[in-house]
Amino acid sequence: MDVMSAVPLVEQLSREMGISTATALFDGPAPRAVDPVLAPMFRRGGLPRGEIVTLTGGQSLSCALAAIAVATQEQKWCAGIGLGEPAVSSIADLGVDLDHFVNLVTPAEDWLRVASILIESFDILVIDPGFLPSAGERARLLAKVRERKISLISLTSMPGSTEQIEITDTQWSGTEHGHGRLRSCLVQARSQTGVHRFLLPGPDGTPAEAPAPSSSEGVFERPVIRSVS
Amino acid sequence: MRTGTTSSDPAGGGSVFADGGTSDRRTLVLTVPDWSAVAAATEHDLSPGTPVAVLSGGKVMAANAPARAAGIALGNNKRAVGYRCPEAHVVAWDEEADNRHFSAGVGALEELVARFTLLSPGTLAIPLDSLKHGYDDEPTAVEALISALVSVTGWEFFPGIADTVFAAVLAAGQARRVEPGQTTEFLAAQPISTLEYAGAGATELIDTFTQLGLRTLGDLADIDARDVNSRFGALGKRAHDLATGTKWTPLNDHVREERLNVELGLDTPTTRSDTLGFLTRQLAADLLTTVRRRGLVCTQITIELIAVSGQSSKRTWRIEDMNENTIADRLRWQAEGWLAGAARKGPAAPQLGSTPQFRSAPDEPGPDPEDFSEEGIIALGLVAAELTTPIGATKSLFDENTGQVTHTLERLQGLFGPDSVLVPGLQGGWDPAETNLWTPWQQAASPVRSPGAPWPGALHAPRPTTVERLPVDVLAAGGRPVGARPAGLESAPYAIRFPTGTAEAVIDYSGSWPVESGWWDPTKAIYRTRLQVVTDSGQALLLSKENGQWYITGRYR
Repeated sequence: MDVMSAVPLVEQLSREMGISTATALFDGPAPRAVDPVLAPMFRRGGLPRGEIVTLTGGQSLSCALAAIAVATQEQKWCAGIGLGEPAVSSIADLGVDLDHFVNLVTPAEDWLRVASILIESFDILVIDPGFLPSAGERARLLAKVRERKISLISLTSMPGSTEQIEITDTQWSGTEHGHGRLRSCLVQARSQTGVHRFLLPGPDGTPAEAPAPSSSEGVFERPVIRSVS
Repeated sequence: MRTGTTSSDPAGGGSVFADGGTSDRRTLVLTVPDWSAVAAATEHDLSPGTPVAVLSGGKVMAANAPARAAGIALGNNKRAVGYRCPEAHVVAWDEEADNRHFSAGVGALEELVARFTLLSPGTLAIPLDSLKHGYDDEPTAVEALISALVSVTGWEFFPGIADTVFAAVLAAGQARRVEPGQTTEFLAAQPISTLEYAGAGATELIDTFTQLGLRTLGDLADIDARDVNSRFGALGKRAHDLATGTKWTPLNDHVREERLNVELGLDTPTTRSDTLGFLTRQLAADLLTTVRRRGLVCTQITIELIAVSGQSSKRTWRIEDMNENTIADRLRWQAEGWLAGAARKGPAAPQLGSTPQFRSAPDEPGPDPEDFSEEGIIALGLVAAELTTPIGATKSLFDENTGQVTHTLERLQGLFGPDSVLVPGLQGGWDPAETNLWTPWQQAASPVRSPGAPWPGALHAPRPTTVERLPVDVLAAGGRPVGARPAGLESAPYAIRFPTGTAEAVIDYSGSWPVESGWWDPTKAIYRTRLQVVTDSGQALLLSKENGQWYITGRYR
């Protein structure tokens, strides 16, 4: 094929769709940066834009908040829908910039309407919908998400999502049967990139790397008390 | 009464009103020393000879002359006051009484001068050029004003005259008259801590300046203005302007010289929001015209609604593009929310006189819902809560797409009510539920508890991600409820039973901490025991036992 014949096509692509390079055509917009501990869970190392990610299981709200933290620090606006009353102290602990986070307290049945209004100007939505949209509504939501290139994190599983992260196991440590307090939680998450283990929250409230397996065995085992005669 | 200013004046040209470039800024400041103590004495109807000490935050913030003579100094605590002067009358600071008595007392000035400004309770400023026509020179003007004020109020006034308001305030503290043109020298000799008179945000700045070795305002004035601006930003620039005497407005940016407000009484009470909206548009246009005529911009507005029963709803809104329609929208939302809240929930729903929060404390019982919504609203009031110069209201270019975000969120507030869009904030408290400060978008947050104060026993990270308040039963192995004592739990928790009847086994639990709050006030005292548990579903919960009942107060989600 003549190389020259591709030139009008390239021009057309860059003009009409804002696609200037071949990678942009294949990959879509670059993902948003996330905490390095969480990055391996995502297929492209960050929060995808123009797609729906589902995050389910224990500690999923913490995980979602930790995933949006870097973006809010970069002045991206994030809204939460249907999250109940989040604790501001924990949002701040997870690194979210409070100046760029908004919580919506709207009737549960209106979440789709609220989301469709927020999509116009927000960059990230974290949604815990009480119930699933119909197929038609879902298609429209997906189209809007794709068009506005926003990142949508759903805390309940939703058909049409491109990445699914499921937290399969949570192990809290530090309580020691009445002699300590909660310190960290070892989380095991399964996503398209495999199974990941990390601490969420870590000892300082933010995500942290999991301790090496050998030592983690010791951490989670109860001390055995022997009677001394 | 001290009239040190007038008596120390040289007889020569200095006693005539200054003219030329400085005359338009030359200001007389009258201040009542220890105003809070004077106001407290008036409030409690005490004789002038009674020692009075006013406490704020546990420390003496003002004491009158008899109290000082007895050895009471600023910063003493209550016990120290008791040792030094047992008969002293110790009262808590009442900001409202401060303002009320002062504005009532200085009413006498209205007949004497064309305009004056209340800088703070106890301190007022009069531009000297407004006295030019009535009096021959500065000393006679001061004499006349002070004797008129003293004969009406009986308070002691310290006068101060200088070329800028800030310098005049400092001069009034020393009862001095600064010669025209001498203000820069006068300011240069003042310690850097005097910047605290200039505004609330200055305390931190003063500390920094002190650490940098800037001891006087003169040290600060010697630094190039551009350097100060690039290092300390707008606040530093203003402090520098004050120190050099080039800028005459006080440090805080908003100009609130007089209260700009409009009120409207309705002929018949109404609950119809379209009627209210229509009336508000006219009212708001009047207010904004007044504001604009003064060359100012209104950035926050306080809307007050008064119901037939006498209750009122007051909220302060920050509006980016303030005009009649946006104000009418806010009033409509406020009215709808208030009336709907009253009809839906009865008590606690009308957020009486306070910014609504997620978790409102059980208020005094509200009106009977039925009656209330039938009676409706009888009067409206709008107050320009924050006035600023047009440049101060301009948005920074660096705020990325806030305009669009604002638009979206306001649309949602229009659809679902103002309380549906909440922005997070933190305040002081022990539990996440107490530190939460969710404020409706564009409303001024009003923390109840100081985040800076120490909160012994406050929860450490990791903290629960959501807060709630769900009564549950915490059971021991035998099925008996787990009791809590200051020393610890009576038995190990074994299971949690939810109100729905389901139960989850407890696989691990933390130590229990007692938290005692508000013990100094029996009506506010809460004794609670806090406990973290992990259930067999892998979920961690924060529990709290108050008055014999366990609650889930937070969930780690």
